[in-house]
Amino acid sequence: MPQALCGTGRALLLAAALAGSAIADARAWAQVATEVPRLADGHPDFSGVWQTLSEADYDLEPHAGRRDAPPSPGVIESGAIPYREDALAQRKHNFENRAQDDPRLKCWVLGVPRGVYYPAPFQIFQRENDLTLVHQFGHQVRTIPTNGSDHPEEEGQEFWLGDSRGRWDSDTLVVDVADFNPETWLDRSGNFHSEALHVVERWKFVDRDTIAYSATLEDPKVYTRPWTIEVLLHRRRDPGFQLIEDYCYTLEYEQFYPPHEDGQ
Amino acid sequence: MIARRHLIAALLLAGAASNPGFAQQAPEQTAQPTAAGIRWAKEVPEIHSGAWSGPKLADGQPDIQGFWSNTISNHSNFTDPQAGPPGEPSGAAGLPRDQRAPSRVSDPADGQIPYRPEARALQEDFARNFPNPTEPQYVEPLARCAPAGVPKSFMWHGWEIRQYPGYVLLLFDSGSRIIRLDDGPHLPDGIKLWNGDSRGHWEGNTLVVSVRNNNGKALFGRYGDFMSANATVEERYIFDEDGKRFNYVATFTDPTVYTRPWTATIPSRRYTEADQPEGWHYDVQRVNGLDELRYEHRERICVENNGPFGGGAVGVPSDGPVIAR
Repeated sequence: MPQALCGTGRALLLAAALAGSAIADARAWAQVATEVPRLADGHPDFSGVWQTLSEADYDLEPHAGRRDAPPSPGVIESGAIPYREDALAQRKHNFENRAQDDPRLKCWVLGVPRGVYYPAPFQIFQRENDLTLVHQFGHQVRTIPTNGSDHPEEEGQEFWLGDSRGRWDSDTLVVDVADFNPETWLDRSGNFHSEALHVVERWKFVDRDTIAYSATLEDPKVYTRPWTIEVLLHRRRDPGFQLIEDYCYTLEYEQFYPPHEDGQ
Repeated sequence: MIARRHLIAALLLAGAASNPGFAQQAPEQTAQPTAAGIRWAKEVPEIHSGAWSGPKLADGQPDIQGFWSNTISNHSNFTDPQAGPPGEPSGAAGLPRDQRAPSRVSDPADGQIPYRPEARALQEDFARNFPNPTEPQYVEPLARCAPAGVPKSFMWHGWEIRQYPGYVLLLFDSGSRIIRLDDGPHLPDGIKLWNGDSRGHWEGNTLVVSVRNNNGKALFGRYGDFMSANATVEERYIFDEDGKRFNYVATFTDPTVYTRPWTATIPSRRYTEADQPEGWHYDVQRVNGLDELRYEHRERICVENNGPFGGGAVGVPSDGPVIAR
């Protein structure tokens, strides 16, 4: 019964973390927390619509409120992004030109991990052998195989979303993402990466309606060491809520295709 | 998508090189596709709605997951599928009509969309200007990476079906559709979408889907056939017993554009590991790191069509912000 053992273990961990709370409350909460949705194969089932409440997309680093960003203590484990000295000029240029240069403004693919903490919903569809993430913003559909497969054999592949390969570490989904192109930004403030980016994500239920998401980014061309983003993802539970397609890049030209409201 | 273009070129070269009988068979080749790689079947199989005896998923849905593509040609020409796009007639265009696949319009019997006169004029205007567009509206929206929409998505590149309890997910190279299997209410009327809003359910071997909230912008193909934002579409995806084929049978109702409801029939076939990958209908790569042969499509993001297409059209440059949010 590895699941049961695991569940008990986590319940103890949670109970320990709640030291100071009433024991009865901790027990009740731990019990709820362990009752996360699961697929028939026993793995956590992340199916559903998710969205961050964080300010991560405005600026990953700690910042005071400014014209185009609400304040935030930041979502980086180590406080700041460890840029290489020779990457700071690009970082500065991006920040100064963010009102024009952010790829989001053209509704381009946000990439990984930005699409996860962009403040718009995305829906996870899950099967035993893969997860499919459909993001409302733009045309971004990402597959995370969990079938034991590896990244493409060919070197130097460049994908907008990278190439994702997942595996289960107990109840945590660990996703290795590689083969990126250098076109995407990490947030609206111009934090960036190169095609050498390598991301390791960890997805884990806090409770059935909350996922603890982390992404560790390594990119020797831009950063001096790996660093980690941590945000919570919340299940969208608004009554009747559903994704509504948002191919916003078509806004630029949809005027040319008349609505033909009356067949005229 | 430079890699894809190279792949297609390589496939074409390989095909020519591996077929030493090609030259000798030249006379028979005259009726073959001019657009290499496009499927060119002349028949549309009859598939009837009924019980499903094939494999089922745990939630009871017929298991029809996998890679699919059309069998009678692409979206160049809706009503004469193998005759080529406006201004670029195919090699088969000169043959008697019954030697090409039938119109995708299966009702009315004449194979024509029953346009009101003013709507027919709009369609003909687009077709006339498609080969040499001088205004932005004559560039096919798909050439700008707009979602191919309903029903064009089923006539373009190959695509993939994934199923989940309560959902059928359709993944196209341009756009995706989430079909909710709850027959609940559609989105409010004022919301208009490239792919509309889809609600459906299974009836035996048939996936029945109601599509509302259409924006009427995607066009059905290069002849400019269209519906308006008032259109409703009732789709029936009828799967044959062995799960190797299905017919997409959809009835379009739009009194502002058509004089009567009409029905389209678009045949599709399934692609599996038994098929050779190729760049149009089965654009997949071998999965790395598994012992058994499996294929996957790595990323569906339209970037290749932003440039000129459709006989000299010039795409819209993305030189500034499109959104302010």
